[in-house]
Amino acid sequence: MDMFSNLSLGFGVALSFQNLALCFVGCLVGTLIGVLPGVGPIATISILLPITFGLDPTGALIMLAGIYYGAQYGGSTTAILVNIPGEATAVVTTLDGHQMAKQGRAGIALGTAAIGSFVAGCFATVVIAALGAPLTKMALLFGPAEYFSLMVMGLCFAVVLARGSILKAFCMIMLGLLLSTVGTDLETGQERLTFGIPALADGIDFSVLAMGIFGFAEVLRNLETPEARDVVRAKIGRLLPGWSDIKQSAMPCMRGTVIGGTLGILPGNGAVLGPFASYTVEKKIAKDPSRFGKGAIEGVAGPESANNAGAQTAFIPLLTLGIPPNAVMALMVGAMTIHGIIPGPQVMTRNPELFWGMIASMWIGNLMLLIINLPLVGLWVKLLQVPYRLMFPAILIFCCIGIYSVNNQPLDVAFTAMFGLFGYLLIKLGFEPAPLLLGFVLGKLMEEKLRQALIISRGSFMTFLERPISAGLLLVAVAVLVVALMPSMAKKRDEVFTE
Amino acid sequence: MSLNQIERARGLRIRSSQDFAAGLFMIVLAVLALVLARDLPMGSLRQIGPGMLPTWFSIFCAALGLLQIVGSLRFNGEALSGWSWRGVIFVLGGACVFGLTIRGFDFGPIRFPSLGLLVAGPLVMLISGLAANDLKWKELIIFTVAMSAACILLFKYALSLPIPLAPWLLGI
Repeated sequence: MDMFSNLSLGFGVALSFQNLALCFVGCLVGTLIGVLPGVGPIATISILLPITFGLDPTGALIMLAGIYYGAQYGGSTTAILVNIPGEATAVVTTLDGHQMAKQGRAGIALGTAAIGSFVAGCFATVVIAALGAPLTKMALLFGPAEYFSLMVMGLCFAVVLARGSILKAFCMIMLGLLLSTVGTDLETGQERLTFGIPALADGIDFSVLAMGIFGFAEVLRNLETPEARDVVRAKIGRLLPGWSDIKQSAMPCMRGTVIGGTLGILPGNGAVLGPFASYTVEKKIAKDPSRFGKGAIEGVAGPESANNAGAQTAFIPLLTLGIPPNAVMALMVGAMTIHGIIPGPQVMTRNPELFWGMIASMWIGNLMLLIINLPLVGLWVKLLQVPYRLMFPAILIFCCIGIYSVNNQPLDVAFTAMFGLFGYLLIKLGFEPAPLLLGFVLGKLMEEKLRQALIISRGSFMTFLERPISAGLLLVAVAVLVVALMPSMAKKRDEVFTE
Repeated sequence: MSLNQIERARGLRIRSSQDFAAGLFMIVLAVLALVLARDLPMGSLRQIGPGMLPTWFSIFCAALGLLQIVGSLRFNGEALSGWSWRGVIFVLGGACVFGLTIRGFDFGPIRFPSLGLLVAGPLVMLISGLAANDLKWKELIIFTVAMSAACILLFKYALSLPIPLAPWLLGI
C-alpha cells in the first residue's frame, strides 16, 4: 500500500529532532492558550506567524498545527475545572465535565477527555492519510469553475455555521471579499482601493489584518467583560478512569470521533458543530437521558472526541484542495504562502515531505498532548490564576514584536492598531469577525478562478452550471442556505448556538 | 389589544440600534469602496477588468447593509453599548508608541528617537497595562521587567530576529 510508504516518509520527517521539538513547543503553547480563557488559537497563531519565518516551512506548519489541536485539549481542562470554555469547541464539555468536577471526579473527567481526544486524534490522522491521496487525485480534475463553486459552497457553509445572525455572518464574508480586492490588480497592475497609499499597493497584509482583528480587538473585548472564574478547589483526584468508566465512555468516544471527523471535513467550519452533534446524539440514545447535565461521563467523552477529530480532519480541505474551511486554516494558508508554498493538490506531489510530515506529526503531537496534559494538569490549574490584567500586556508585546518582524516595518504596527480599532467596532456592532478572515483569504483565489473560468467559457456564466461537479457544489450551497433560512431550522440553529 | 398589535401600532422606529448601526456601517463602507473604484475599468465578462469585483462586492455589501437596516426596524434586538475608550486609548496607543519608537520615525517636524526593544517593549506593556480596571502598579512593573527580559532573550537571541535592541546605548 502506498499509504504506508507515505506515512513512513512522514514519520521520518516528523521524527527529526528539530521537528519533534517544534511539535512539542506547538502542543505546549496550544495547551497553554487552550487553558487560558480569552486567548484563542486564532490570535495565537497570528501572533506567532511572523516568528516562524526563520524556520523551514514543514517545521513551521507542524508547530502551528500543534497549537491548533493542542488548544482543543487545553480547552477542555478549563471547561471542566472552571466552567468556562477555554475554547469555543469546549462549550459542551462544561455541561457535564464541570458537574463531574463538582462531584469530586475532576480527574476522571480530565482523563476521559484526554484519552477520548487521543483516540479521536489517532483515528483522524489515519483518515487524513487515507483520504489525502484520493482527494488530491480528484482535486486535479477540478478546473477553475469547480474551484470557484467549491469556494462559494465553503463560504455558504461558513455563513450558516457561524455564531450569531446569518445576515451578519454574510456581511462579514462580503466585507472580507471586498477587503481582499484592495491592492494591485494581478492582471492589469492597476491599483485598487488603495487611497494612493503606497503601503497598500501590495494589498492589506494578512498578518496585519489578522493580528489587528484577533489580537488587539480581542484584548479590547475581553477588557470590557470583567472575569469571573470559579476554579474547583476540590482535589482533582485520580486521573485514570476505572474499568466501568472506560466501558461507559468507549462507545460515545467512537461515535463522537466519527461524527466530529465527518463534520470536520466539511468546508466552512464544520468542526464547531461536532461537539454539539455528538452531545445531542449521546443524550438521545442514552438509556437515562436525565443523567446528562448532572455529570454523565458520556457527555464528556463524546464531545471531546468529536472536537479533536474535527480539528484534525479540518486540515483535509486545506491540504488536498488548498481551500481553508475556517479562520484558523485561513491562517495556515497565510503561513504556507509566506513560505512560498501555494496550498492545493500540488502540495502533495511537490512537497511530499511537508504533507506527510505534517500528518505524521499530528499523531506524534496527540501522544505528546496526552503526556503534557495528564501529569501536568496541576500546573495548568495554577496558570488559571494568572489575572487578565497581566495577560494582556504580555499579549500586546508579543503582537508588537511579531508585526514589526513581518516586514521590519514600524508603520505596520500602527496599521495593526487601526485594524484593532476596526475589529473593536465590528464587535460593538455585533459582528463575529472570524468569517471576515475566511472571506479575505478566499477572495483573491476566488477572483483568480472566476476570471480564468470566464475566459475559458468566453464570458458565459453557464459554465458553472454546465459542468456537473461545479453544478453539484453550487446546488449544495443553495440547499444549505435555503435550509438554514427556513424558519423552523433557524430556530433550531439558535438553540444549538446559545445552549 | 394584544402586545403584538401595540408594538405594530407604534409604527416604524429603530428596534435594534446595534443592527441599525451595523447596516449603516456596511453601507458607508460600500459607498466608500464604490467611490474609490469608480475609475477602474469594469472590463467585460469575457475579460474581467480590475473594477468589476470591487464594484460587485460593494453592491452586495450595500444590499446586505440595507437588509440589516430593514431588519432593525422590524425586529427587536440589541442596543448599541458604550465604547470603553480607556481600552482603546491605552491598548492601541501603547502599540502605536511601540511602532514609533522601535526604530525611530519621522512624522513631519516631530522626530521620534530610535529606542529599540529595550525601551519600546516595556513602554508598550506599561502603557497598555493602564487599561486594566484592577491595575496594580507594583505587580505590573515587576511583570514588565521580567517579560521584557524574556522577550529580548527569546526574539533577539533565541530566534535572532533583526529587531533593534538599544541603538542609543549598545549600538545594536
